[in-house]
Amino acid sequence: MNYSSSGNHILNYGESTSLNWAERFRRFPWSLLFLLLMTVFVGFGILFSAVGGSNNIWIFLRQVIQFCFGVVIMCSVAVMVGEKIYRRFAYLFYSFSFVLLGATMAVGSVGMGARRWLEFGFFRLQTSELMKVALILALARYFHDRGGANGMKLRELVVPFLMILLPMAMIVKQPDLGTAVLLGGVGMVMMVVAGLSWKVLLTLVIVFGASLPVIWNGMHTYQKQRIITLFSPERDPLGSGYHIIQSKIAVGSGGVIGKGFMAGSQSQLDFLPERHTDFIFSVLAEEWGFLGGVTVLVLYGLIIIRSLMITEMANDRFGLLTVVGATMLFAIQVMVNIGMVLGLLPVVGVPLPLISYGGSSMVTIMIAMGLLIHVSIYSKQHGRSV
Amino acid sequence: MLDDDREQFRGDARRRLLLVGGGLGAAFMILGGRLFFLQVMRGGEYRMLAEDNRISLKPISAPRGRIFDRDKRILVENNPDFEVVVIPELAGTLRHLLKRLGRFIEFSDEEVKHLIQQARRQRSFLPLRVKSHLSWDEVSSIEVRIHEFPGVDLQSQSVRYYPLNELACHIMGYLGEPSDLDRKRFKRIQFRSGDLVGKSGVEQRFEEVLRGREGMVEMEVNAVGRHVRELHRTPPQTGSDLYLSLDADLQQEAQLALGNEVGSVVAMDPNTGEILAMVSNPTYDPNQFIRGFSHAQWQAMNLDPDRPLINKAIQGQYPPGSTFKIVVALAGLIHGKIDPKETFFCGGSLVKEEQRFYCWRRHGHGSMGLLQAMTQSCDVYFYKLSERLGVDAIERQARRMGLGSVTGVDLEGEKAGLIPSRSWKRKMFKTSWYPGETYITGIGQGYVLTTPLQLANMIATVANGGTVYRPSLLRMQSDRKPEIVYKNTISSYHLDLLREGLEAVVHDPTGTAAKARPEGGIRAAGKTGTSQVVRHKRDKSGQLIKSTNENLQDHALFVCYAPVEKPRIALSVIVEHGGHGGAAAAPVAKRVLDKFFAKYGAEA
Repeated sequence: MNYSSSGNHILNYGESTSLNWAERFRRFPWSLLFLLLMTVFVGFGILFSAVGGSNNIWIFLRQVIQFCFGVVIMCSVAVMVGEKIYRRFAYLFYSFSFVLLGATMAVGSVGMGARRWLEFGFFRLQTSELMKVALILALARYFHDRGGANGMKLRELVVPFLMILLPMAMIVKQPDLGTAVLLGGVGMVMMVVAGLSWKVLLTLVIVFGASLPVIWNGMHTYQKQRIITLFSPERDPLGSGYHIIQSKIAVGSGGVIGKGFMAGSQSQLDFLPERHTDFIFSVLAEEWGFLGGVTVLVLYGLIIIRSLMITEMANDRFGLLTVVGATMLFAIQVMVNIGMVLGLLPVVGVPLPLISYGGSSMVTIMIAMGLLIHVSIYSKQHGRSV
Repeated sequence: MLDDDREQFRGDARRRLLLVGGGLGAAFMILGGRLFFLQVMRGGEYRMLAEDNRISLKPISAPRGRIFDRDKRILVENNPDFEVVVIPELAGTLRHLLKRLGRFIEFSDEEVKHLIQQARRQRSFLPLRVKSHLSWDEVSSIEVRIHEFPGVDLQSQSVRYYPLNELACHIMGYLGEPSDLDRKRFKRIQFRSGDLVGKSGVEQRFEEVLRGREGMVEMEVNAVGRHVRELHRTPPQTGSDLYLSLDADLQQEAQLALGNEVGSVVAMDPNTGEILAMVSNPTYDPNQFIRGFSHAQWQAMNLDPDRPLINKAIQGQYPPGSTFKIVVALAGLIHGKIDPKETFFCGGSLVKEEQRFYCWRRHGHGSMGLLQAMTQSCDVYFYKLSERLGVDAIERQARRMGLGSVTGVDLEGEKAGLIPSRSWKRKMFKTSWYPGETYITGIGQGYVLTTPLQLANMIATVANGGTVYRPSLLRMQSDRKPEIVYKNTISSYHLDLLREGLEAVVHDPTGTAAKARPEGGIRAAGKTGTSQVVRHKRDKSGQLIKSTNENLQDHALFVCYAPVEKPRIALSVIVEHGGHGGAAAAPVAKRVLDKFFAKYGAEA
């Protein structure tokens, strides 16, 4: 069907699958884009300082290019395809990602003690990133097809649980505890919103609590170490406690107004490890103080609120759950990363969305954002309100 | 999909989303609160920690103060000690560099191997010391080519240097690594690794004067310790110089006069207590403590029976022998126990309580007055005088002349010697005092022990008319008055009698110390002494059996002052196992006296 010249179709409930470009442009959630750009630009400033200014300008420039690439992907995801495409291909995409994840386990390349990447000649793919998006879409599709999780028995929940737990297990094996926890968190929240009964939820919590010792025993030594370290970083100040201690010093020494741009001694004198990736929030907090830290927290909060607002506009369960999943993917990363930097959570290696240096996490986040923008653009409520 | 189904689903999802949103809100509140806690509440604390991280304090050692003699000649100074330092990251291949440097400095294969290993262990921007204690030739040959060696630097640090080597080593002392005891002793000093501290002599006693205040460089460093920039520099404060009362010429003469003999010479100014010379033989080279000893050298020095590290002038305790007769004679006069004209008969020995006490002159001195008894050192006369005085009176007089307790000189480890008394013996041996022991005490044998410094102080007291000064190694200046320990009141009549006797010892033909007679008509007064090392064996007729074992020979002692009219120098000499005081010790004293008057003139 072609609706390129007419607006009539909008009133036709349930049939529209495609919009003309002008309409897509008009419906684009510009306020969300604005918040995203604000955060990214703040991130550029912090990154510039974190890499030591013009000395390592190429790192900074790469991030700018990666971001531009990310924006293109986000917009493509948001506007290039019709409404039902993602739902239709959700399972296929999940299967594809699952196979790649399995392949990674078998033949993936090792970096920093973990097997996370698949080599494709000219570039390497972190397959767990793919899985983040795939899981959101597949879960959304599952609960969409089943008409929600209301009244579902535990038996019926086996499929979604496996959808979550199998990739989680594979990612834990890599080992990449951070991503695994992230998948679990996103999946959990999506199930809760889909209508998981409170009884089942309670059971899950109890089972999880009971299995904690088993999980503990199954963890790698370095993962245990990180958790022990969280509660007493002073036990090993030059070893596993170093990150937490130096990060807390950086954050704390920033005080109310910070030490100023490129003037953070912890950041500029290399005391802060991983400062342009996982610990970039410490650089922000050291150089811009409490005011800077709170500003970024507020920006993230606004992005999350604006994203969740899209749930109101979703046409169907699939759309709504996709938005919830994408938002949670974003929100959990923000909380885990900042919690880690502030010494509240163990060091699990989750980057700070939109700000941390790194291509793959940026692309994933942009895809997720693209998905929820997609839902927003194709909402039928536009027709009603206009 | 039905509308109402959707609407019902929406409502349910909205409620659940509210819950999720609440959870997220709470999480953000926690993050914000944590940020507030770390940055606003604990900010100051963390700022200090950050500063600690950022700033590295590097101490700059302060040179020690120098030490001068009374003529302001340098006794101890600091010399630069050069070392070659390489910063590997600037220097290229280390092996290659060492090979090139090897043209000017020698490296053994082992050293090269060790250095390369060490360079691998440390960060490449940190300096690596490749050679220490460079010679001047090595320093200059590298210095002119330093631009050919990027990353190579010559660094110097000041090290202690004793230009006179062994001379006066026991007074200078030496430096060593601080022990726990030193750390306790100098609580105010913060010792760092590599620091040295005075271990003996004035280096030890005046540690806090000589030691400067170390400077400090505040450097900004990064996490791996690389210096980023200098923030602040506090220059070090050199320690204060020390001016000693010592006269290096006199010290040298005394050292030469003693030669290879084991023993001690102490020269003092009797009017102030200033020590002019203090020799203890054998000696050591304090520079060796800076350079370091080989194991064998150290072993040899510690096992040497003559104990070169001991300052015999203050730590050697000897029976004073006949020099003690000065004390006894003075006690006799002061207590009125003798009339100078009264004579005793010396038949060579005396029997008391079935024990025979010999005079050193086996066939006797005949009839002896005080003067003759002093001059010829008649033992029998002093046996009798001691008997009249009793040991306690002798002890009191000895103590009034500075014997039996430490003099308080500016050196550590001084020994007190021993002056016996009845109560002392009761306490020590739980037995009463035998009258025969008074005899032995009267001639400075038996329990009596004195240090050479005490003897010098004793004769100085006679020389100055009764004042016991605290012997001082520091030069008296306008702000430093001599410290008086005790002032004897001796009538000039008694004093003249005593001095007349002592002068006769040196100048009378029958005197025991003719060999001490100074050149140039200067008149000296003194007293010889011979202290028994072991109880002499005598044959049946009472004749001494001469021992051939050198270690069983008597110690030779001599104390004196000069000029007699207006004394300016007081001396004590001990030659261990030297035999008779007049033969072995008096000539040593003569050389020191001659040197003194040659330098300062006969008239004051």
